[in-house]
Amino acid sequence: MSHPEPLLLQAYFDGEVDALRASEIEQHVDACADCRALLEDLEQTRIALRRNLSYLSAPAELRSRLTRALDRESVSQVPQQSAWDRLRSRARPFWFGAVSGGVAMAAVAVLAFVTWAPTLANPLVDAVVGAHVRSLMSSHPIDVVSTDRHTVKPWFAGHTDVSPVVADFEARGFKLIGGRVDYLNHQRAAVVVYEHGPHVINVFSWAENRRALPKRATVDGYHQISWRSSGIQYCAISDTGADELLELAGLLQDLGARDVQG
Amino acid sequence: MPHLDAAYRFARWLARSPAEADDVVQDAILRAFRGFAALRGGDAKAWLLAIVRNCHSTAVKNDRRRAFVPLPEEHDEQDGHAMIATTADPESASILSDEQRTLDDLLLALSEDYREALVLREIEGMGYREMATVMEVPIGTVMSRLARARAALKRQWLLAERGTRVAP
Repeated sequence: MSHPEPLLLQAYFDGEVDALRASEIEQHVDACADCRALLEDLEQTRIALRRNLSYLSAPAELRSRLTRALDRESVSQVPQQSAWDRLRSRARPFWFGAVSGGVAMAAVAVLAFVTWAPTLANPLVDAVVGAHVRSLMSSHPIDVVSTDRHTVKPWFAGHTDVSPVVADFEARGFKLIGGRVDYLNHQRAAVVVYEHGPHVINVFSWAENRRALPKRATVDGYHQISWRSSGIQYCAISDTGADELLELAGLLQDLGARDVQG
Repeated sequence: MPHLDAAYRFARWLARSPAEADDVVQDAILRAFRGFAALRGGDAKAWLLAIVRNCHSTAVKNDRRRAFVPLPEEHDEQDGHAMIATTADPESASILSDEQRTLDDLLLALSEDYREALVLREIEGMGYREMATVMEVPIGTVMSRLARARAALKRQWLLAERGTRVAP
């Protein structure tokens, strides 16, 4: 093979050529000092940029400003809007507008109530947030550090009253990093700790009792997803996106259901 | 908030000051949140960074429109300094190495097209396809622009090493 086009060599360097093309280029590069020098240059630039310019991350102040803005948004975002628009788009007598306005207001009130009431009424929701935040601030958020569920799960047996579902979903982006014991709702809770990108997800679990948690809640920007399975109350909490949290909760629920069957 | 750091880094390399980057990111995140239903299945990071880029160019356009109206104080001068000064705030600036500072300057001296191509590829680790989404150009353009950007940075780097670069 003669010298590859500069753009092709660059694509090879960026991992953007197929395997066949890559092996052709590799063969050529082995024999060609010029091309090797070019690749070396590209590599040096990359290393310098990555080493020196990856330090920026979103400041905490911006993060909390955004969390507040999004919280406002999710409450004020009116799913009734489409109904509202439909009502408005029809030719309608004067009173119709007044009534539809009233309906929309009522709908917003109901939405706000449904969204906030369980959160406000349930001190347990706040307790979980408190425990989560304390764990993030503490110097050892994990009592048993392990990425192996066969280490974490038996550890709980000796330290808590429940044996929660523990699994590593690293392939799905949820990396098991360990377990911890916490005290919540007047009993010991088992906490399984996952890492999702830069976020820590705590999955609290305790023997279920009369006080259930709402399925979903958001407090201070922390999302909570709760469910019950095999006599255990679970609550996953994190500052990661609600969708990511739902995904992890779904994975754990599936696994719990399979355990029961198996 | 997934990809917030990436959005912020990208905004910082596009915007002329940290405060402006904050505004661009906030704008973009809210827009992304409202349009979230439209995403489903696509690449979330590329999608979000494309929104950041749009928010930035809107901000620049609005700025330029405002600039036509003579202002009581002279803003432009300050903006110019903000652009040349290293991007970090004072605390973190003090811990930046000389090499970092030089690279910051070199990158900021490149045109915005080149800068964004380098940032997306080398710092965010994006593939050509994702870059094409963010930059709103065909993949062929991504490739040629990236090649020119790399060459330009290299040239600047060599000049800086020889010390012939005029200090900004």
